[in-house]
Amino acid sequence: MPEQSYEPEGAIAGTGMGGAMDLGVSEAATLERTPGGPGGTGPAGRPRSLWSDAWRDLRRNPVFLISGLVIAFLVLISLWPSAIASGSPLKCDLAKAQDGAGPGAPFGYDGQGCNVYTRTVYGARTSVTVGVLATLGVAVAGSVLGALAGYFGGVWDSVLSRVTDIFFAIPVVLGGLVLLSVVTSKTVWPVIGFMVLLGWPQISRIARGSVITAKQNDYVQAARALGASDSRILLRHIAPNAVAPVIVVATIALGTYIALEATLSYLGVGLKPPSVSWGIDISSASPYIRNAPHALLWPSGALAVTVLAFIMLGDAVRDALDPKLR
Amino acid sequence: MLLEVRDLHVEFRTRDGVAHAVNGVSYEVDAGETLAVLGESGSGKSVTAQAVMGILDMPPGRITGGRILFQGRDLLKLREEERRKVRGAGMAMIFQDALSALNPVISVGDQLGEMFVVHRGMSKKDARARAVELMERVRIPAAAQRVRDYPHQFSGGMRQRIMIAMALALEPALVIADEPTTALDVTVQAQVMDLLAELQREYRMGLILITHDLGVVADVADRIAVMYAGKIVESAPVHDLYKAPAHPYTRGLLDSIPRLDQKGQELYAIKGLPPNLMDIPPGCSFHPRCPMARDVCRTDEPPLYEVSGVRGSACHFWRECLDDRDH
Amino acid sequence: MTATTEPILEVTGLVKHYPLTQGVLFRKQVGAVKAVDGVDFTLGRGETLGIVGESGCGKSTVAKLLCSLERPTAGSILFKGEDITRLSGRALKAVRRNIQMVFQDPYTSLNPRMTVGDIVGEPYDIHPEVAPKGDRRRRVQELLDVVGLNPEYVNRYPHQFSGGQRQRIGIARGLALRPEVIVADEPVSALDVSVQAQVVNLLDRLQAEFDLSYVFIAHDLSVVRHISDRVGVMYLGRIVEIGRDAEIYDHPTHPYTQALLSAVPVPDPEAREHRERIILTGDVPSPTNIPSGCRFRTRCWKAQERCAREVPALAVPAAFRDASGPAAHDSACHFAAERQVVPAEGEHGNGPG
Repeated sequence: MPEQSYEPEGAIAGTGMGGAMDLGVSEAATLERTPGGPGGTGPAGRPRSLWSDAWRDLRRNPVFLISGLVIAFLVLISLWPSAIASGSPLKCDLAKAQDGAGPGAPFGYDGQGCNVYTRTVYGARTSVTVGVLATLGVAVAGSVLGALAGYFGGVWDSVLSRVTDIFFAIPVVLGGLVLLSVVTSKTVWPVIGFMVLLGWPQISRIARGSVITAKQNDYVQAARALGASDSRILLRHIAPNAVAPVIVVATIALGTYIALEATLSYLGVGLKPPSVSWGIDISSASPYIRNAPHALLWPSGALAVTVLAFIMLGDAVRDALDPKLR
Repeated sequence: MLLEVRDLHVEFRTRDGVAHAVNGVSYEVDAGETLAVLGESGSGKSVTAQAVMGILDMPPGRITGGRILFQGRDLLKLREEERRKVRGAGMAMIFQDALSALNPVISVGDQLGEMFVVHRGMSKKDARARAVELMERVRIPAAAQRVRDYPHQFSGGMRQRIMIAMALALEPALVIADEPTTALDVTVQAQVMDLLAELQREYRMGLILITHDLGVVADVADRIAVMYAGKIVESAPVHDLYKAPAHPYTRGLLDSIPRLDQKGQELYAIKGLPPNLMDIPPGCSFHPRCPMARDVCRTDEPPLYEVSGVRGSACHFWRECLDDRDH
Repeated sequence: MTATTEPILEVTGLVKHYPLTQGVLFRKQVGAVKAVDGVDFTLGRGETLGIVGESGCGKSTVAKLLCSLERPTAGSILFKGEDITRLSGRALKAVRRNIQMVFQDPYTSLNPRMTVGDIVGEPYDIHPEVAPKGDRRRRVQELLDVVGLNPEYVNRYPHQFSGGQRQRIGIARGLALRPEVIVADEPVSALDVSVQAQVVNLLDRLQAEFDLSYVFIAHDLSVVRHISDRVGVMYLGRIVEIGRDAEIYDHPTHPYTQALLSAVPVPDPEAREHRERIILTGDVPSPTNIPSGCRFRTRCWKAQERCAREVPALAVPAAFRDASGPAAHDSACHFAAERQVVPAEGEHGNGPG
């Protein structure tokens, strides 16, 4: 009697069984952990999805919790800087220039005699706003354009590829000097707009590449054979599988945007003083690095912690969206 | 004896635990002999071969025991430098995927010639001449013109011939072919297999043929070693094994192949799945899938019983398995 | 030759050419890959038609055309008398419910970021009229049970399953909409031997249970014979021989079929010794540059001048037209002749059981 072809329950094998592949290193790495591990066992309770599973995962991830706390704190002090810093960041007393820590000024005073602590707290608003909004703008514009070009291909893809080539050829700092020198607005918007304008091609190229890779998978064909619409295929099948590299690059770019704002401000085309930002402080403190290193260290430290927090957050989100790592 | 593998153990350390890929494999190959190592994915057949060739990725791989004697020398005790000399000149490997095994930006003539430049110290010109000669040996038409072509300009079958030419360039004593024809079409498969068998006879080299395809093995091998969960479960001369397998796993494999000349009702299927290498069942590792399993199989690990002078079976009930076959 | 039952699919003159272009912005066509170059067949209700051929013969493209994943360059595919190649929008979506596909690679055919429940239930999201929302979960679990998986696995992800189990998930997804035709493109070739048999048996069982018609595409002639009622042999974008399984395997008249059959490795060293082997020379020509006349002539040992001039039609060859035996089936060869390459059943005993 031939065997009935049921497989024993609970026996989920880990060894891949792709045709001729034998146990190689990559396969050994995907071996199934013991049943009972998080995410996947237990009787069929509530239906689960990628996003709910990812959220469950994130809530238990210390990296996510720490970076989330740091970012939440940054957002709070950007909204209400006066809650933890008294006085105005613009009130400077040249008599106290380059002084060390004193009452009401735990970080000391900078070359202009301004309170470094107050300026660092108030600077968070501009730096975080510029960094986050520029990154968001770049990520949205870049990934939408890149994904559409990668998915539909054809003439638009060719046009987009050539346009990104042109943008890549523009030197960022020189472009900033030319474009921003004609703007007179004192807000952060021209700087953000400039960053989005020059930044999107980087993300669009990455998004295009990963969409093309994801598109070639059979599950996209399977969805199409079921009659799924293009938007469903893009959103349900391609986006979750193509988003990881975009997240990684975007979070790293966030740091560079904050630094770029500093560079542009230093060159006099970014934010202009009365504006308070870490970038302005870093650049104005750098000539005095020998006499008053604290004036440079505190804003740069704040910048480093912020960038690190966003990179950690991006990393945690990327991992949570990959069920294989659960 | 050309090659003797003795009680080899290999494991992989991964994030999720230790995978026991090879658990005490012993086999030997003599000059002029073809040994087929047959197994499914995860059986440890390729890992064993990689350990013999010295191309196992370590880490995560680790050889935790055993000896590999090649022409009397224990390869595991050699320094990397000496090991490198053995590779190429003493033993060579043919891979499944010739397209990724050949360098895409170097012409095939230069890749073949490099062997002679590096190992034999030949001049570039002489090496090129030898490359053409080799390509003729593996019957690539118009070899003298095609020697400048790049791998992607050849068809799958021709690329596999180039791989064979590369492996044979230094006339090694042992060649390991890992699924050499799996990626090829059946009509091309036959050509390549014939070529390999012919060259093997000519050079009198030892050949280890790693495959999952019982059909390919039947064509060319002298002896077969069947692997399951990192162990050899049956070892026998080709004719004996096909006529009367002495292990239920081998029997199950033979029965589950649909046959060209018969149209059965339902195929015999081995139940269940290959074992998880991090959690190999105790006793006989095949017992959860075995139709003959009894209590002793769940507790006692069977040794490789001697069935006759030339064959062995790691089944407590190999006698019944053999008898079963007769009716 | 017609199918024995009422046809559910009728394919006529199916052609798919992929243009080869040069230039970046201003493309110009410099040639075409003739992946499918004039294919005709019919599939009867409840029947399994096997299509075999080597890589590059166009069999996978045929699968894609049948499932409307590609639009043919020419020709028609009638599903119950309606040409589906001209459909779009809602009408196409409706037809898709009835023709589903099972893919070759169980690793790339399931979205790694969706749970098994979502994968098997997705057809109901796309075609909400098939199952009311509250009923979907039960249906998904039923489907998992039907294909031999534990219904409690709905919340797991594909990577937690082995290749064979993944293929079952793919089959469950294909069955969700209760299609009438399933096109299986190499459904078992990525699986281990011991698991292949399980999946082949499952497909067999489902055919009876759900009254399915299969187009079963594979390069493995033994598997195809096992599952098929009729078999078509493809070479360079065309069917060169087609007939009932015994006609093709025991009485092949096309030289390519004969070579293909004789090259299959047989897991039996003794049978091999009785067997005659035809080893073809050379490789399959490029589909961008198909030989004139008979496309097999460049590798054929029978080729004559006529083969370069005249394209042989896929019909019962003149030599067999009056005979009624098994050799009288469609074969596209000017010099068709019977030649037995597979030893007849029972000549040697090594079969199952």
